[in-house]
Amino acid sequence: MCQKESEIKQNPSHFEGTDEELEMSKTIQADFMDYVKGMKFFDPHIHMTSRTTDDYTALVDAGVVAIIEPAFWLGQPRTGLSSFKDYYSSLVGWERFRSSQFGIKHYCTIGLNSREANNEALAEEVMEILPLFLYKEGVVGVGEIGFDDQTAAEEKYYRQQLELSKEAGLPVQVHTPHRDKKKGTELSMSIALEHGIDPGMVIIDHNNEETVESVLDKGFWAAFTIYPFTKMGNERMVELVKKYGSQRIMINSAADWGISDPLAVPKTAALMKIRGISDEAIKMVCYQNAIDAFAQSGQINVADFETPQEIDQSLKFNGNTVLRGGQIPRVDKNSIFIS
Amino acid sequence: MNVKDNLFEVIKTNASQKELNWIETKATSSLQSLQTAFVATTRFVSKTSVNTFEKLKGINFNTWNLDKLVRSYFLVCLDVADEVSYTKTLNTLFETAENNEAVALISSLALLEHPENWLLRATDAVRSNIGIVFDAIAFENPYPQEFFSELAWNQLVLKCIFNDKSIHKIQGLDDRANKELAISVSNLAHERWAAGRTIPPQAWRLVTNFLDETIFEDIKKVFDSEDYKNQLAAALVCKNSGFLPAKNELKKHIELEQKVKDLSWSFLEV
Repeated sequence: MCQKESEIKQNPSHFEGTDEELEMSKTIQADFMDYVKGMKFFDPHIHMTSRTTDDYTALVDAGVVAIIEPAFWLGQPRTGLSSFKDYYSSLVGWERFRSSQFGIKHYCTIGLNSREANNEALAEEVMEILPLFLYKEGVVGVGEIGFDDQTAAEEKYYRQQLELSKEAGLPVQVHTPHRDKKKGTELSMSIALEHGIDPGMVIIDHNNEETVESVLDKGFWAAFTIYPFTKMGNERMVELVKKYGSQRIMINSAADWGISDPLAVPKTAALMKIRGISDEAIKMVCYQNAIDAFAQSGQINVADFETPQEIDQSLKFNGNTVLRGGQIPRVDKNSIFIS
Repeated sequence: MNVKDNLFEVIKTNASQKELNWIETKATSSLQSLQTAFVATTRFVSKTSVNTFEKLKGINFNTWNLDKLVRSYFLVCLDVADEVSYTKTLNTLFETAENNEAVALISSLALLEHPENWLLRATDAVRSNIGIVFDAIAFENPYPQEFFSELAWNQLVLKCIFNDKSIHKIQGLDDRANKELAISVSNLAHERWAAGRTIPPQAWRLVTNFLDETIFEDIKKVFDSEDYKNQLAAALVCKNSGFLPAKNELKKHIELEQKVKDLSWSFLEV
């Protein structure tokens, strides 16, 4: 499944395009942005707390105007309620502010992730404070929740959070497991339906070739994570869009603290463009579908990122005013002088 | 009228009937329900600008949006009889606040019961690097003037200067000017000059009543600046100061002396 660079070089036969396309694909790494000039992107799954300001700058440059940061696992288990509380607070506080400094509209989904659902004593406490965050401005869903090891505890808190989502009228962003994905995906969907949740309110994430058909057939949104090695590659993604079209399909980077690529959405858009997918379909998959799905929360106002904002002089960070529209103070990375 | 009634009067003239119905239902409900209403306000109340001449404890609600006003109202509706649950509720709101909620909380500090109990929340807001949260405590807020120690006050003013923010919007700026702050302003200027940078001209107003031999040297340097606004700042300091050498110094700058005769610091407020 994973593509090593050496394999690509030795086996170019996996590429089944025209000679012209082949030529283009060789240069794409250097100038992929030429293919997506003027396009706007919405990345509905990216963990910016784990990323640097360089990434924010790169996102702006590539045309990403809005993002959703789902609450997730921090790489190691939290040991107390306060850590959860501070993390959720940071998603609607500091990170939201940090993002605004780059002119990127930051939304989030709030939930108890599947891994940490297995610490039941702590999970109980977390469930108590979740409603306090779910009703906050800019919280566009319950997420990312679902299964990891597919344990009883994971199922218990998945169900409880589905009920919360119903109560709050929020979409659900469902993480599907790495291991035994197909079974976990089917289970996640059947439980959601069992709770009487409209599949149109559920975004099933991290799909692949094996899961997508069932997800779309049942009326759920199918999200694909373009993530090196462990999830989808973007060439496979292009093929999927060719096969399944652009209805209810969206892509994301799920960039986090692992080896991941925050530019996965614009890069995949470029590849789709090169491989002949229409601009309209690219827009659906890389922008509009995510908005349509998560705007059901009532918390997305597209004017916030589609029309240039007034520069708010009160938004200053350490003495710098970061302006919208690509006017971010630049650091010349090649300069030896730091001033 | 008490604070609560006052706020409600302003809300009544600015909210729609539908919004009013929701607000009234929530305002009389349990502590828990009020807490949730505070969070959920933006789902039921618009963010339109408030239109009013009403001022309360120096707060000008004309610069507020309706959602902020309603949140503030919910805070003063919290039942204070049981101090333990009252404090717990407010602490929870502070600890889980989204940015706009934090702004509403900080802006309302002076309206709360026992406002002095929330000093740490206020100084934490000064420590914040989130622009709107810092601004909520710094500007058009009566709280710092009334409750901040000199140390906390000076931190607030210095951070404003450091971040090029408008110090004139701090309530009580001239009343709470002090010698320590004047020395800090001078020190900051020296640091900036060493780095080839400057401080905003307006900051010099803070040394006016605390000129001594040392700080007066700075003012002479500011007179020599190539920047006209800095020159004006130096002239204004000398005009308003009782320090005799400063008075004499101003006479050496005839044009500037003329210029600042009818000028106040508001000319340099940005």
